[in-house]
Amino acid sequence: MAEIAHEYLIPDGIGSEDIKDLIRDRVRFTEDPAYEVTRRFLDSFDWRLYRAHAAVEERLDAGRRRLLWRDLRADVPPLMQDIDAEPGFAWDLHEGPVRDRLEPVLGVRRLLPLSEVWSRVQPLRLLDEDDKTVVRLVLEDNRFRAPDRDREGTLAARICLVPVRGYAADLRKTARMLNQDLGLEPAGTGVLPEALAAVGRRPGDYSSKLDYHLDPDQRADAAAKEILRGLLATLEANLEGTKANLDSEFLHDLRVATRRTRSALTQIKGVFAPDLVENYKTRFAWVQQITGPVRDLDVYLLDFDGYQACLPAPLQPGLDPLQEFLQAHYEDTHQTLAHALESAKFRDLLTSWRGFLETPVPERSAIRNAMRPTKEVADARIWSMYRRVRKAGRAIALNSPAPELHELRKHCKKLRYLLEFFGSLYPKPQVGTLVKVLKGLLNNLGKFQDLAVQANYLRETARRMHAAGSAETDTLLAMGSLVGDLFNRQRQARVEFSGRFADFDSEATQAVIRDLFAPARKRGQRS
Amino acid sequence: MTVIGVYNIKGGVGKTATAINLAYLAAEEGRRTLVWDLDPQAAATYYFRVRPKVKGGSKALVRGKRALDTLIKGTDFDNLDLLPADFSFRNMDLALEDAKRPTERLSRLLTPLGEEYDYIFLDCPPSISLVSENIFRASDALLVPMIPTTLSTRTLDQLLAFLKGHDQPGEPRVMPLLTMVDHRKRLHLDLIERLPGQYPGLLDTHIPYASDVERMGVHRQPLPAYAPSSAAAMAYRALWEEIKSKL
Ligand SMILES: Nc1ncnc2c1ncn2[C@@H]1O[C@H](COP(=O)(O)OP(=O)(O)OP(=O)(O)O)[C@@H](O)[C@H]1O
Ligand SMILES: [Mg+2]
Repeated sequence: MAEIAHEYLIPDGIGSEDIKDLIRDRVRFTEDPAYEVTRRFLDSFDWRLYRAHAAVEERLDAGRRRLLWRDLRADVPPLMQDIDAEPGFAWDLHEGPVRDRLEPVLGVRRLLPLSEVWSRVQPLRLLDEDDKTVVRLVLEDNRFRAPDRDREGTLAARICLVPVRGYAADLRKTARMLNQDLGLEPAGTGVLPEALAAVGRRPGDYSSKLDYHLDPDQRADAAAKEILRGLLATLEANLEGTKANLDSEFLHDLRVATRRTRSALTQIKGVFAPDLVENYKTRFAWVQQITGPVRDLDVYLLDFDGYQACLPAPLQPGLDPLQEFLQAHYEDTHQTLAHALESAKFRDLLTSWRGFLETPVPERSAIRNAMRPTKEVADARIWSMYRRVRKAGRAIALNSPAPELHELRKHCKKLRYLLEFFGSLYPKPQVGTLVKVLKGLLNNLGKFQDLAVQANYLRETARRMHAAGSAETDTLLAMGSLVGDLFNRQRQARVEFSGRFADFDSEATQAVIRDLFAPARKRGQRS
Repeated sequence: MTVIGVYNIKGGVGKTATAINLAYLAAEEGRRTLVWDLDPQAAATYYFRVRPKVKGGSKALVRGKRALDTLIKGTDFDNLDLLPADFSFRNMDLALEDAKRPTERLSRLLTPLGEEYDYIFLDCPPSISLVSENIFRASDALLVPMIPTTLSTRTLDQLLAFLKGHDQPGEPRVMPLLTMVDHRKRLHLDLIERLPGQYPGLLDTHIPYASDVERMGVHRQPLPAYAPSSAAAMAYRALWEEIKSKL
C-alpha cells in the first residue's frame, strides 16, 4: 500500500472558507471551534532529540500548555503532558509520558527553542452515519518566529490529515479527495523542517564529535590548521551557552575542544614554529585552568543523587549540607568564569588564534614536517604514540605506583585524539574499532584517576566546610563514608585494568594497528 | 502497561460507566489508554459510537488469528482507543475452552499491546465464567463497582471467596468501590459507614447517583467530556487519583 501523504500545501490566495466549501461538497463533517496555537520546537544544543528521531514541541492553545513528543519514524499519535513552566531540563518536568521518553534521550542537557510557529487552526472532523469521527482534518495558517525574535514571517498554509486508528479506508478516501479532487500538493515535510529553514537552522548543525574529511596528500601544516579550525569552531559555538550556563555540557564541550586543541598543537609535531606552539599551549592551558572549578562543581552536583545513593540509608541525609555548600559556591564560581571568558585576555587569544589559523600556510616552510603529506605524518605520529602506550601499558603491574597509570592515561588520550583527528584518512570500521577499544581502556584509567581526584576534592571540601562551621558531625561522617566508597571503587578500577589493557593489546588490535600505521617494512609482520 | 479489570458478577452496577470515565481521564492526562469491551451487549462500544463488529468474532480473536492491534479503533478523544465488542462474545467461553491454557488466553493476547498502552481497561460482562477467570488473570487491579445494598456485599464475598479458592500467581488487587450512592437513602449511608471496616480494600471515593451519568447514553460520550465540572465527574476524577495512588 502506498504511503499516504498527511500534509498538503494550500496555494496562496485560497482561504480556509474556500477549502471548507470544497470539502463540504464531498463529505459530511463538523467543525470544531477554531483556535490559535503556538508551537515552540525544542531540542538540545547538540540535537539529541533529532538524532533520536524525535521532535518535541511546547504547545500553547486555549490556555493549555503542553509538551508533545513525536516519534518521527512511527506513525503513532504524539505523547503529551501538561506543563506549567517553560520546559528546560527533563528532571524539572512533572512525572508524565513525555518526561518518561525525554529523560533518557536528553540526559543532562536543556531543551532550547529552535523556532516558533504560530497558527490559526480550524479542525474538522469527518463523520460516519453514527456521527463517529473517522478522519480529522486540520486547516492551518502558519507564521514563524526565531527564538530571539529577530526574524519572522509567514509559512505556507497547510491542511493536515490526522488518521483515526482503525479507519484506514476513510483515510485513503480523504487523501484521494485532497490530492486528486482538490488538486492539493503533498507538503513533503511537516511544518518543523520548514520552520527551521525559515530561521536559518539545519538539523544536526552542531555536534561535539569531530568530523573531518582530510586529503592524505595535503600538506601537514595545512591539515593541522584545518583540524584546529574545527576545534576553534566548537569552542566558540559553546561560549555563549557556557557564559549563560544553559547547561553543563556547553562548558564540558568547550573544555574538550580546548584539551584537543592543546593535544593537536603538541602532537601533530613539527608543523608550526616551536615558539608559536609554546605560546598557544600556555594560553590554552590557562583556558583549561579557568574552566576547571565550575566543571568540578558540575561533576558533583550532576551526580549528587548517585553519590547519596551509594551511602547506607541512615547516612544519606548527612550529605545534604554538602549539596547546599556546593550550590552556594556555584554562582560565584560561575561568575568568575564568565568574567574570565569576557576578559580581553580571552578575547585576544581567540582573535589572534583565529587570525593564525585563517592565514594560509606559507608557500615554503623549513619546519620539519610542515610540507610532508598529511598521511605520512599521521602514520608516523599514531604509530609512535601507539608504541608508547603499549610499552607503558605492558610495564604496569598490580603494584605499579599511581603516577605510572596517570602517565599511561595521558598517552592513551593523545593516541585517541590523533585517531580522531586523522580518522578520515583510514578505513572507517577499523578506526572505529580502535577508538572503541581505546575508550574502554581510557574509561578504566579515567575511573582510576578521577575517583581519586574526587575523593581528595571531597576531603578538601570537608576541611573547608568544617573551617566555615557548615559541617555537623553527621555530614563529616557521611562525606567520610563517601570518600571511602570512592577509594574502594578506585581500587576496583585498578583490578579491572589488566582486562581492559589486554583488550587493547590483543593480537587482533595489534594487527589492525600494524596494517594501518606501521612503517611500510613492518606492515603485515607479526610482532 | 497496567491492566485494570472492571468487574462484578452482578449487572447494572456501573461497570461500563466506571471503565469508560476512568479511561477517559487517564487519556486526558496523556496516558495511552485502551478500553476493551468484552461484553456482547457492547455498551462501551456504543458509547464511543463504534460499530460492534469484530472480524471473525470471538473464535478468531481467541485463537489469535487476528492480532488485537488490527482490531483497535480510535475514539473521538486523544490517546483513547477502543477494542470493540462483538455479539459473538456471548460465546467466548466456548472459544476459550478450546484454547490451550484456557484461563490465560486473554492475558496472552494482551501482552503485545504492552508497548503501545499505559493503561488497558477491561469492561467485563456480568456473570462468573471462563471469561471472568481470564479477566482475573490478566488484570493488575480489579475494580468492583457495587451499589450499596446488602445483597451487593454477598456478591463481593462470593467473588473474594472465588479468588481465594483459585489462588494463582499474580492475583489482581481487588478494589471494591461504591457507585450510584444516594445520600437520601438511609441504607446507603449506613453501608458507607460500615463497609470500610468490613472490607479494608474498599476505595474511599464513591460515585454518587446522578442523572448526569445516565445521560452518557444520550451524549454517547464519557461523562467528563460533556459535563466536566459536574459532581459525578469530579467524583470520577477523585476516584482515578485514588486508584493511581494504590496501583
Ligand atoms: N452514578 C450513576 N448515577 C446514575 N446512573 C448511573 C450511574 N452509574 C451508572 N448509571 C446508569 O446505570 C445503568 C447501568 O450502568 P452501567 O452500564 O455502567 O453498569 P454495568 O455494570 O456496566 O451494567 P452491565 O452489567 O449491564 O454491563 C446505565 O444506564 C448507567 O447510565
Ligand atoms: Mg456494562
